Amino acid sequence: MRMAAEFLFQVFPTSGLPIYRQIVDQVRRHVASGRFRPGDFLPSVRQAALELEINPMTVSKAYSLLERDGIVDLVRGQGMRIAERNETNGNDSLRQRQEQLLPLLRQVAAEAYQLSLTGKQVRSLLDGVIKELDGK
Amino acid sequence: MNREENVLEMRAVSKMYSGRSVLDRLNLDIPAGSVVGLLGKNGAGKTTLLRCALGLARPQHGSVTILGEPAWNLSASAKEHIGYVPQNPQLYPWMQVRHILAYTGSFYLRWNPTLVDRLVREWKIDLTRRAGTLSVGELQKLAIVMALGHEPDLLVLDEPVASLDPSARREFLKVVLAIAAGGSRSVIFSTHITSDLERVADRVAILQGGQISFFGELGELKDQIKLLRLTSTNTFPERFDLPGILRQRIEGNHALVTTRSHTPELIGQIESRWHATVEVQDLNLEEIFLELHDD
Repeated sequence: MRMAAEFLFQVFPTSGLPIYRQIVDQVRRHVASGRFRPGDFLPSVRQAALELEINPMTVSKAYSLLERDGIVDLVRGQGMRIAERNETNGNDSLRQRQEQLLPLLRQVAAEAYQLSLTGKQVRSLLDGVIKELDGK
Repeated sequence: MNREENVLEMRAVSKMYSGRSVLDRLNLDIPAGSVVGLLGKNGAGKTTLLRCALGLARPQHGSVTILGEPAWNLSASAKEHIGYVPQNPQLYPWMQVRHILAYTGSFYLRWNPTLVDRLVREWKIDLTRRAGTLSVGELQKLAIVMALGHEPDLLVLDEPVASLDPSARREFLKVVLAIAAGGSRSVIFSTHITSDLERVADRVAILQGGQISFFGELGELKDQIKLLRLTSTNTFPERFDLPGILRQRIEGNHALVTTRSHTPELIGQIESRWHATVEVQDLNLEEIFLELHDD
């Protein structure tokens, strides 16, 4: 199954996070959340570029990083397919999983700075949010 | 044309106007198939660079090669493969739009009337108007259509979106993206609107002090240039002695450092050397542009 890129990805060209990284992060998140299942195909580079109105080189850079990391496989003539969940996929090292969270945390840190919240105040908020989740 | 080659090569190009240096031993190589955004402040010399690239202005020093030929002596066949939209297109004010298009098309061996008709329709250009009655934005749209009609391998645009309204700008960006999706044709456009560039360009060239201060992938630029917020229990020195610092502001145990060589190693080095916590902040192109121009 192949979905329209517009529904799958949301890119913010004027963000400080390069667009290719935004796509990589979103694919990873979709895989983690189960929205992408093994065997699903990503939109073609051309389709994604035209729908998202971004340069195709940006899309292909994102896809090749995903391929390098084993998230997708290149299927000749068909495009990029979400890989079977394998050892690398499910058991990312702690470091790798932390790195996935970094962009979001940076955003939080920047916003917190603008709101003149201290690190301590933010951490206590975060602790609260995590507790809420754990309680469910 | 050999597609493996660079579409444009500028080597040690210097251009002066009445004693004032505009380009100063500038080097720039643009590979085939790329969409390059040329970014610079007002008066940085973007137009001069593009005019030298096209052989419309002659540098005092250095060499310019475009599509494999010296820019100053371009053959007619090389010109067939280049499209150019100047900043202020000068068209024939007494002629109707349809006559201008037919007249322009007659100069080219390869002219695509279907493409031209489609663009004219999509951009709602009135074929019966006289060019002299068109607004600046309408003129610019017409000039873009004229530059696209012969499907050039290299499209050079000087501030193409400056006088377009947001919807026309979006339409224009789609045209550039369609060219980019083909993979073999190249586009160079100058602009000071960074948000357009962030969408369509795969490479960015920053013109500063008569030279190209950065040329590379946009994502790479964003990966490299970061704002670091440092906090330490100790007082920081007056200046950090680190590679690639663009700007630093230090006050006691707080510091803001903009670096152009961000790596995890650099962060580790700062953390251990100054017992600091480091917060890395992403910068978008506009912010990067401002950081680079802070002097």
